[in-house]
Amino acid sequence: MNLRDSIKYLFSYKIAGETFIKLNTKKAFKNFKPPKSWRTDILAPPLKTGVYTKEIIAKHYLEGRYVNGVKPVAWVTSGAPIEILKALGFYILYPENHGALCGARKAALEISEEAEKKGYSMDICSYARTDIGSILSKKTPVGKLPKPDLLLCCTNICQTVLYWYRVLAEYYKVPLIVIDTPFVYDEAKEHDIEYVKKQLEASIDVSEMVAKKSLSFTKLKEIVKLSKMAAELWLEIMSSNKNIPSPISVFDQFIHMAPIVEKRGDAVTVDFYSKMLKEIKERIKNGIGAVKNEKKRVLWDNLPIWYKIKFLSEFLAEHGVSVVASTYTNAWGELAPMMDIERPIESMARTYTYPILNRGTGHKLKTMEMMVKEFDLDGAILHSDRSCKPYSVGQVDQRLKLLNELGAAALLLEADHNDPRAFSDEQSKSRLKAFVEMME
Amino acid sequence: MLHIDIPSRKEVIEKAKSEGKKIAAIYPIHYPRELFRSFNIQPIEVWGPPKTDTKKANAHLQSYICSVVQSGLAFYLEKQLDIADIIAVPHSCDSLQGLGSIFKDFINPKHELITIYLPREKNKENVEFLSNELKRIYKQLSEFCGFSPSSEKLMEEIKKEEEIDEIVDKLYRIRENLPLSSRGFYAILRSREYLSPDEFKSKLEYILLHASKGRLKKTGVVFSGLLPEPMEIFDIIDEMDCFVAMDDMACCMRRVYGKGNSDDPFERMAERIVNGPPDPTKGNSFNERFGFLKSLIEISGAKGIVFYNVKFCEPEYFYHPILKEKLSKAGIKSLIIETDINEPISQQTITRIKAFTEMLRENEQ
Ligand code: SF4
Ligand code: SF4
Repeated sequence: MNLRDSIKYLFSYKIAGETFIKLNTKKAFKNFKPPKSWRTDILAPPLKTGVYTKEIIAKHYLEGRYVNGVKPVAWVTSGAPIEILKALGFYILYPENHGALCGARKAALEISEEAEKKGYSMDICSYARTDIGSILSKKTPVGKLPKPDLLLCCTNICQTVLYWYRVLAEYYKVPLIVIDTPFVYDEAKEHDIEYVKKQLEASIDVSEMVAKKSLSFTKLKEIVKLSKMAAELWLEIMSSNKNIPSPISVFDQFIHMAPIVEKRGDAVTVDFYSKMLKEIKERIKNGIGAVKNEKKRVLWDNLPIWYKIKFLSEFLAEHGVSVVASTYTNAWGELAPMMDIERPIESMARTYTYPILNRGTGHKLKTMEMMVKEFDLDGAILHSDRSCKPYSVGQVDQRLKLLNELGAAALLLEADHNDPRAFSDEQSKSRLKAFVEMME
Repeated sequence: MLHIDIPSRKEVIEKAKSEGKKIAAIYPIHYPRELFRSFNIQPIEVWGPPKTDTKKANAHLQSYICSVVQSGLAFYLEKQLDIADIIAVPHSCDSLQGLGSIFKDFINPKHELITIYLPREKNKENVEFLSNELKRIYKQLSEFCGFSPSSEKLMEEIKKEEEIDEIVDKLYRIRENLPLSSRGFYAILRSREYLSPDEFKSKLEYILLHASKGRLKKTGVVFSGLLPEPMEIFDIIDEMDCFVAMDDMACCMRRVYGKGNSDDPFERMAERIVNGPPDPTKGNSFNERFGFLKSLIEISGAKGIVFYNVKFCEPEYFYHPILKEKLSKAGIKSLIIETDINEPISQQTITRIKAFTEMLRENEQ
């Protein structure tokens, strides 16, 4: 730990920063009202607990500005097993989440172009391009990102992250831990789980070396417990959308999922989702639906189109369509039951092998079919995300099955989660319109 | 120039069938040929094929999936793989993972479907994992074929492959003494994608016999990427008084594995693949890949590298900028070309290759 960095961290983040952010939250909570541009004619007001989402994220990135030299920093992939790092006191940054934030703030294109100028192809994942562009140009809407001391890449979302993290390791010259999770075509085999477990065990040594301390298994269990609790709450929040009308939309979930990704294993996340659940229950009690005139209920598959959330949410709400379930947001909750606090490493090996993105196209279809039934859905929007091959391959068949076997309207919407060049307003509008008509 | 007759895939398949062998259609990239052979199965690799009409694949794949996977699926849908008994899809990248999954969940081929997961790092644990994965496949093949080859049989097939790898390695090292055009040389090397080991070995030995003491008075280039399709690309290089002196291609050099150490056949097959040459799909580090490319340049005396990339191939894309920079710092010139294996070579590609090879030649003089 560096003394100068620690003093700076203490004053700029702990004392001044945190206090300022907390005061802002308090004020925002007290004077809560929807933003001026909010379409109150078609949408319920935003969740009041959403002010805490902003607080958690603002604090997280502010801490990131001052954390180097104070805590060890790890950059990790979104589905990575972070519990060991958390127990060792790492500050954790998720480049994908940072990418999503750049996308939502419409800054991703400019930043990606910095990577493209250096020769990174337009055809690689736009999260990777945003991240690499941000490293090369230092551009970021959050001020400054901390430098990593360690990289943790888990292939349970895609193979792309493996190449992307090689690039990061080359830029930052820091150790890279790879947790390679065999793809689950139907069921994971025992040797698959054993392989992941061994890698997790091996990762402890490297992480301890970087953190300069030893792992406490009591602390690890505590983190796993908090991680599981937050995931269970998140699952309950998503399940509450089985209610008709649906209290929140998937677009709300996209915004409020940041803590479950970024702050998994923290007490603050459990507290936050408990508050949110309470507010949602209140909405259900009062018959409030996210879309005021909910006529049709649909599913969202694949990543959000971050730069078009408002556009999509309003366009669909105008037509009385509420997007109530999503395979994407579900991914951060569905595995909660697999976590075993008493057997953290073994259960992590299993849990982190089973995310939807590491499972076959048939499993994803089953998940969608289950959602169509349980959430009483009329249709599904499958975002065909040019950047994300593992999520998108299989959608052509999945769409047909939903259409032919369940009789659900199903739309393949061509776009990219972070690159607006792959999205056409006009074309999307007319396709969405046809989709809505199909449900009538 | 030496002329060697190479039977077509179709001829090889017919012959194998008449000998009572089963046929396995195998998608790219890494798999142990020896494992299939010990079951009397003839592996026939499906690298595309190029110039396939991929319209049929649109029923399952989006347009942003690479042409290798598009063609591979379209070829199946055209019933061109009906002759095969087995389809095997190694897990090389996200797109091939998707193809394997679509086969299993939506297409349901009548064939026996085998998926192979390949570990990504070079270490002991990964050898152990792959060895277990190969045991799983062995079991599946045993059930399918109705018999279980002995360890001795497996070892015998492994040793055959190791011997062939050794000869191929030797040929690479004396490439400039071989009276073969780039296309001629690679047509032979790539016949390993479907020939039996004995037949392939006899072709290699024939070439060895004809290795001259002279030297091709041409400028060498290293060719890197997944596969050299369309193969006419080599004619353009040769026309410029250059030749492909060495390669870093998934279909060729990246699968010239070293000898294994273990006496256990599964472990030995796993060692060979895991410890094989660096490959972007295995996620090797930049230093490994750079070191390997540099050694290829040194061994072959080549003057530059052509990265020939299949459009939408993420594994390759990620490496280019940094590799290019490292190579340039080491004084090695490189060129990146993008290709779709189903399209004819564009005029722009021809011009760029010509300009690049011309520059290499001028630098050499
Ligand atoms: S390819 Fe898909 S899963 Fe992988 S980093 Fe990009 S968006 Fe995420
Ligand atoms: S060309 Fe690239 S993306 Fe396509 S199958 Fe081969 S490795 Fe995968």
